[in-house]
Amino acid sequence: MTNESSTQQRSFTDLERDIISAGLCSQCGGCVSFCSANKLGALEISPDGTPRYSDEEKCLKCGLCYSICTQVNELDQELQEKFNWVPPMGRYERVTSARTTNHDIRSICTDGGVVTSLLVYMLDYNLIDGAVVSRFVGPFNRVPMIATDRADVLSSAGSDFSASTHVGVVGDEYSTYSPGAFALKDLTSSMRPARVALVGTPCQVHTIRKMQCLNIVPSDMVKYTIGLFCMENFAFPALAKREIEAKIGAGMDEIKKLNIKEELIVTLTNGESVHVPFDVVHEFARPACLKCTEFANDFADISAGGLGSPDGYTTVLIRTDAGQRIYQAALKLGYIEEQTYDSYREKADGQMGMVTKIIDFARQKADRSMGP
Amino acid sequence: MENQKSSVMVIGGGIAGIQASLDLADMGVKVHLVEKQPGIGGHMAQLDKTFPTNDCAICILAPKMADCFGHPNINVMTYSEVKSVNGEAGDFNAVVTKKARYVKEEECTGCGECVEKCPTRIPDEFNMGLSNRKAIYLYFLQSVPRVVTIDRDNCLKLTRDRCGICQQVCDKDAIDYEQQDQDIQLNVGAIILATGFSLVDALPLQRYGYSKIQNVITSLEYERLSCASGPTGGHLERPSDHKTAKRLAFIQCVGSRDTRRSRYCSSVCCMHSTKEAILASEHEPGTQSFIFYTDLRASGKGFQEYIKRAQDEYGATYIKGRVGEINENWSGDPVVWYEDTEADEVKRMTVDLAILAPSLTPVRGSTELAQLLNIELDEYGFFKTDPYFSVETTRKGIFACGYCRDPMDIPESVTSASSAAARAMSVISNQ
Repeated sequence: MTNESSTQQRSFTDLERDIISAGLCSQCGGCVSFCSANKLGALEISPDGTPRYSDEEKCLKCGLCYSICTQVNELDQELQEKFNWVPPMGRYERVTSARTTNHDIRSICTDGGVVTSLLVYMLDYNLIDGAVVSRFVGPFNRVPMIATDRADVLSSAGSDFSASTHVGVVGDEYSTYSPGAFALKDLTSSMRPARVALVGTPCQVHTIRKMQCLNIVPSDMVKYTIGLFCMENFAFPALAKREIEAKIGAGMDEIKKLNIKEELIVTLTNGESVHVPFDVVHEFARPACLKCTEFANDFADISAGGLGSPDGYTTVLIRTDAGQRIYQAALKLGYIEEQTYDSYREKADGQMGMVTKIIDFARQKADRSMGP
Repeated sequence: MENQKSSVMVIGGGIAGIQASLDLADMGVKVHLVEKQPGIGGHMAQLDKTFPTNDCAICILAPKMADCFGHPNINVMTYSEVKSVNGEAGDFNAVVTKKARYVKEEECTGCGECVEKCPTRIPDEFNMGLSNRKAIYLYFLQSVPRVVTIDRDNCLKLTRDRCGICQQVCDKDAIDYEQQDQDIQLNVGAIILATGFSLVDALPLQRYGYSKIQNVITSLEYERLSCASGPTGGHLERPSDHKTAKRLAFIQCVGSRDTRRSRYCSSVCCMHSTKEAILASEHEPGTQSFIFYTDLRASGKGFQEYIKRAQDEYGATYIKGRVGEINENWSGDPVVWYEDTEADEVKRMTVDLAILAPSLTPVRGSTELAQLLNIELDEYGFFKTDPYFSVETTRKGIFACGYCRDPMDIPESVTSASSAAARAMSVISNQ
């Protein structure tokens, strides 16, 4: 069971040196959410989104922040065994293309609104007390939040579910990312922990799964993980704004939503959409994203994204029993509907098409992480 | 070790073991009470109320636990198991293994600071997995001794050499990761077995969807749900969605009176299910309970009247018929398929929560313990006893009381414990 690197106890100081100073921090919020949820109170998130000591005196040097860091490979092998992981996109039980049946959701969602509908179903049927999502608080500004009812979920619906799509203003930086795992720190209770669904990027789900390997807080609250396909998130200084606007050919405040398919699809407020090839915007991707190997959110209960489905539909990979249960129930109870095909052959081709595209993207991302 | 041969070892610290120990100790006999869990109390400590009086179980038990722990004649050895026994009646040499707690018992004050800061969350077996506990934990709220224990299988320090937070936060320096299991030699004149029961293994339960359907639970889980100090504070919230369960199905004889598992009657289930139906209705007026039974066995004092009250005052309906299958609808409600033998029809009923009354079997490990003690088991695995001296096992000087001898309820367990104490007394006073 013991990992190869178990010889010495580490602390956040090591994390600062090995990961954060090296520019590899994915800002998933895992370390701070653990430290806060366990009421150790040594860490906080700094304005630039990376973690830092809030009070070094309080650090007990337990080293768990190091163990659960997405960018540290400790526990990865254990995680892969637990989930029977296979390259390049992990294990899945089923692949489908589905969409919401709810008109309100359909009008605001990025793809088919499946993720939003699953959350609404789980809240309606009280399977969860809340969902960790990120909320749109203004143009290009998203913050992590815990949605506890339908209205909250709807306020978070939209492009953020293909997480590489939102530009948030954090201080003077623009970021498409919100540290979802961090929101969990607010939910702790002794006897019966809150039950939460987490919607997140691969790095956010990854840190939660590592915490679950160790059975540590706050991952005990996370009953369901819905993972988003993720090529990269963007972060850039305010000064680069103009340059990006030039590349996408539109002003930031004209953007209504961002959508990931084979290309970056920018929908403007006037209804037009602009297709931007990924290589044009790669240079603004966060360095940690360029080192990340995971596209298809391999360890989530359900992975979802627009890639591979026709417009208005979400591609859904159902990976675990828990994922199967909520997907099937939402389908049977009429929250979502699957794409219909004229023949079995057409359905098989459709599924094959989705898988091929996901594999293609997963390979691209894994190759990219190896460096030029 | 003074008065060695006039001492008795009691194995099992539930209500029967506690009663036998107190009786002997009060008569001046030195008692070594060996309990494998980190605290004494046994299954009775997990119960909400007792039938047929609806008295609070822990309110009756806790004073006895405290008496036992504080008694000058009783040496309570928790987190300990018997390793070997040699010798004969009047002169047994026993070795008891005291498992490492990784906590210095004499230093720990039970302040709970370490528990507060332990980052690990694992299912709490005392609460039947309905809530989580830490890797360092107090066995239960009223547990004696009031000393924490580190669960060696789940502690990150012991399994992975990570964390170590509890040691850092302990003011008393009571955490010792290097502690080892310890063998303790005892010389006793007699041995009393009071090892109790285990719930039947999962198979008969799974036949009814247990572990797949979240709202199918066992009666012991139900006891924890309805208990004020349990995981829901006594609210009957069903597991899947925490909604209050107001329509309950109690399924009797799950694994018992069944040729595929335990052919005997577990003897307490008709009554505890009746009690549970009454409690549900007391907690939440208007609750409907349906009790699916094979034969209604209410042969104790006041038992038939208790069932009558459940029917007349608490909305309990008794349905004679075995349940064939339980499945689940998309809202997570269990759907019970059963044969109504009086109407001669197969019917189905949708409920909020289905509560299985599992067969109670001799405690796991009974076979090994019997081998070690060189005593016989009966055909069901209970310790074999003499038909006329019902606490005497097949070996002189070794006695059995409580559920490990034969299915029985709490009052009977207490009576048989006193009986075993008296018989043990006769062995050691002949020395």
